[in-house]
Amino acid sequence: MTATVAAPAGALPGVKDEPRAAGVIGQTRAGWGLLTPFLVLYLAFLIGPAVYGLLMSFFDGSSVRPGLGPFAGLDNYTEALTSADFWSSMWHTVLFTILTTPPLVIVALLLAMLTDRIRRGKWFFRLVFFAPYVMPVTCVGLVFTWMYVPQTGLFATWLGALGLPAPAWLADPNWAMIAIALMTVWWTIGFNFVLYLAGLQDIPRELYEASAVDGAGPGAQWWRITVPLLSRTTVLVTMLQIIASLKVFDQIYLLTAGGPNYSTRPVIEYIYDVGFTDFRTGYGAAASMLYFVVILAVSAVWFAISRRRA
Amino acid sequence: MATLTVPEAPTRSTPAQAPVDPRHRAFTVLCVVVLVVLAALWLVPMLWAVDTSIRPESEITASPATWWTSHPSLDAYRQVLSAGRMPVWYLNSFLVALLTAVFAVVVCSMAGFAVARVRFRGRRIVTGLVLAGLLIPPQTLIMPQFQEFAGLHLLNTYWALILPSVPTSVAVFVFASFFSGLPGELAESARIDGAGWFRVYSRIFLPLCKPAASAVFIFTFVWSWNNFLWPLLTMTSADVMTIPVGLNVVQDSYGIRYAQVMASAVLGALPLFAVFLVFQRRIVEGIANTGIK
Amino acid sequence: MTESYPKGTSRRAALGALGLAGVGALTAGCGSPIAAGIAGTGPDATSLTYWNLFTGGDGINMVAMTDRFRARHHNVHVDAVTLAWGTPYYTKLALAVIGDRPPDVAITHLSRLPTLAEGNLVEPLRPADLTAHGLTGDRFTAAAWRKGQVGGAQYAVPLDTHPFVMFYRTDVCAKAGLLDGSGKLKPIEGTDGLVAALSACAKVTGGYGGVVNVNADPATCWRWFDTLYGQLGGQVLADNGTRIVLDEAKAEKALSFARELTVQRKLMPSNIDGSGVTQLFASGKVGLLFDGEWQIPTYQGAKTPFSVAPVPNLFGGTYHCFADSHALILPRNGRRDARRRDASLTLVRGLLDNSLIWAKGGHIPAFREIQDSATFRRMEPQSQYVPAAKAAIYDPAGWYSGAGSDFENIMGFAVSAVEAGQLHPAAAIAQLRRKLADYASRPAPVGGTNS
Repeated sequence: MTATVAAPAGALPGVKDEPRAAGVIGQTRAGWGLLTPFLVLYLAFLIGPAVYGLLMSFFDGSSVRPGLGPFAGLDNYTEALTSADFWSSMWHTVLFTILTTPPLVIVALLLAMLTDRIRRGKWFFRLVFFAPYVMPVTCVGLVFTWMYVPQTGLFATWLGALGLPAPAWLADPNWAMIAIALMTVWWTIGFNFVLYLAGLQDIPRELYEASAVDGAGPGAQWWRITVPLLSRTTVLVTMLQIIASLKVFDQIYLLTAGGPNYSTRPVIEYIYDVGFTDFRTGYGAAASMLYFVVILAVSAVWFAISRRRA
Repeated sequence: MATLTVPEAPTRSTPAQAPVDPRHRAFTVLCVVVLVVLAALWLVPMLWAVDTSIRPESEITASPATWWTSHPSLDAYRQVLSAGRMPVWYLNSFLVALLTAVFAVVVCSMAGFAVARVRFRGRRIVTGLVLAGLLIPPQTLIMPQFQEFAGLHLLNTYWALILPSVPTSVAVFVFASFFSGLPGELAESARIDGAGWFRVYSRIFLPLCKPAASAVFIFTFVWSWNNFLWPLLTMTSADVMTIPVGLNVVQDSYGIRYAQVMASAVLGALPLFAVFLVFQRRIVEGIANTGIK
Repeated sequence: MTESYPKGTSRRAALGALGLAGVGALTAGCGSPIAAGIAGTGPDATSLTYWNLFTGGDGINMVAMTDRFRARHHNVHVDAVTLAWGTPYYTKLALAVIGDRPPDVAITHLSRLPTLAEGNLVEPLRPADLTAHGLTGDRFTAAAWRKGQVGGAQYAVPLDTHPFVMFYRTDVCAKAGLLDGSGKLKPIEGTDGLVAALSACAKVTGGYGGVVNVNADPATCWRWFDTLYGQLGGQVLADNGTRIVLDEAKAEKALSFARELTVQRKLMPSNIDGSGVTQLFASGKVGLLFDGEWQIPTYQGAKTPFSVAPVPNLFGGTYHCFADSHALILPRNGRRDARRRDASLTLVRGLLDNSLIWAKGGHIPAFREIQDSATFRRMEPQSQYVPAAKAAIYDPAGWYSGAGSDFENIMGFAVSAVEAGQLHPAAAIAQLRRKLADYASRPAPVGGTNS
């Protein structure tokens, strides 16, 4: 779910006035009772592991040995912070975010405005642009790997027909991340597209009528009315997209497994590689914590922005 | 609540009554052309996958990038469904997604109800705790969670996939905001009649929260079906894999046969397309709501 | 909500009914996966799970071998699972052991065995059990059998040895004047000899003379480099991977030669992936191909006129070429009882008995009965490179080394970048040295509990 961080601002309602006579103690027992299943699972499988992960990061644990392993102090953190591989994987995650966020915001806006404008067959375009979003990533990966086949693949053939040289897409370090980004835009744009469609519904049509009377053409209306009035949605879409893009793993693992020459390995794959392939759970946990701090910082910015706007 | 479907009658941007400005007409035509071209581009990968899947393997090898086939057949689908493990993975994906979604609706609606309607001691702490869950990306927890499930001997069981996916903070907030939007008298009168809180929740509020419940259900189902990294780590036995993991991990002994690969990609996506077609409106609304609020 | 959905309910009901029917049908058919999924129960004692990483020609042969075993042992049900080759396979294997559901029998590369054994992921095989199934050292290629031991205990039963070799197209090489009277490749001596041979082929094809995979396949890049660098007498790791002993002058010489062939002389393509390699060689657009012998079925299938020879000795030193072995192991499993162990070893023995099929894939069988059989000795071109298998030197020891390992990736990616003209040899050496140092300086995360 890309929208996992979506709801906070204002989502928590104040308690409506319940009759006080019901008794605070009864309410307390009922409240905790209703919360128990959730809290048990939540503490056992989310908060607990988070705390345990922090603990693990101070030990030199191995997935093939029982227990936490020998105490390592801050060694794991020092190693990660001075590791060129960690930083380059961090950069690939950021690069992926930089490559995907602008098109996923701008093209989604364009698609939504175009779809909103036509009179017939809206459902069709909504279907076409959103359908890829529900596809399992493995299926998307299989299809795009097939289209990216060098020389004889669909894309290579098309570019050849246009007289352009086709890159070796996934095998060329200069193109692999772009190829992954292209696939991601195709796959996930539907989510942002739908958010924009919803945003477009909230624009009062009188504004358009008034500006039409003033002689504004449709292009000017888009530029002066639609885009500015959608700025709230744009901030939301952009922030959600940044956070979603920073979590990238699946499609890169499937298309290039981080190659060629590690040129696309994102930080989550780095964690996977050191933690599971190299058995170094303690170090993997430390890298996870550092990555978590980055996500936290971006989320904090998002909270700040959404609070101010709320 | 934002609705995405509006009466189609008078369009908004180009008032029909205004004299048709040829420039506007050109603009409209341009818009339609651009939109159709983009839609065509978006359709290509899906159509290409289907096209490849119905071509004979020899034709694919001879000319990989051709659309035309003189011998369309469903053999690849037959092969995938009869020889492979696809049916078992379907079953696993379906059961895991279904159980996760059901548990998520029950557990999170109870929590959402408590947070929204019950004034209990410690409510603020709980709220803060649930809020914190929004900030923890599950990807950062793979290391400790894996150790935990290994310790519990639950790896390679559905529970490894279900249990961590049930308590989601977003779902709690979706329910909480829905419940708090319902009139307060509902609970009041029931309480005066002597109903306990659980009864108020289960008999009065739960039946009313269908829109929230269906949104949470559908999203949890789709998310669970498509989840990749965690099942990749925890499901190592071919019998318990879900579709996205199985398609990636288990290979064809006979080498890559593209028609079958594409057929399995199509089959893997098909159930969710069906879900999407049936619940299109709910899904679209669900996204619009969780995003906007 | 302005849009109404009059037919929604009935459609949904229909879909629900369909879904239920589907589940009903599926649950009736396969009760055991659900039991496994919910209760974590394993298969019963007569059902064995066997993991391998073979696709293509090898995959087909392995299916045939497994089928033969099945035909002879009706009481044992073998569920063979093919997984993706390389790093993901070994990660999966480790996760499966930790996750309590390992396969009963699995394929490993012998170069990977020390790490698996030190990580306590594989069971030592008791001599008594081995003897009972006729699996004793005297019946196997000595180098491979020895490599199946870690710390004095036998952990693996070798299936084959598979060296890196040179394929040649008989038609192209004939035109290029490289064949002798009997149609065999005349010996090629030294780097000059190889350059001359490639140039002669290039003249015939009007394009490239030879090919080796460059893109997205670090393992092949490593095998090519290891062959060149090993012939110079170079070593990469020592002391169980804790020390880097890379000889920079030799490494630079090896890399420069690889680069010379692609970037400078353009005798081999500098940008080509696996399918491109197959296409070039199968269509006769090159005369020579450097690859593993396991590609033999690919070209036999494509009716390519070709034969195979050991990679020439290019630098005049002691002969060396990359080689590894496939072997069978029993991954550690607390639930394995005597009966299951016996069934597992029966499968191991059964696969070895059928390894003449395996040899069709180009591999030199490790089981001597097959290797010394008249049928195998007559097998072409397999019999051409048997000596390469006997002299096999495996990847250097180290917890991060072996087939599809970080070591191979680090080395292979750097070599690939040199062959593609993206990095100069010195820069590539600096890159791989830095990356290897990361691993060499650390205490091994495996070992210590295996005493």
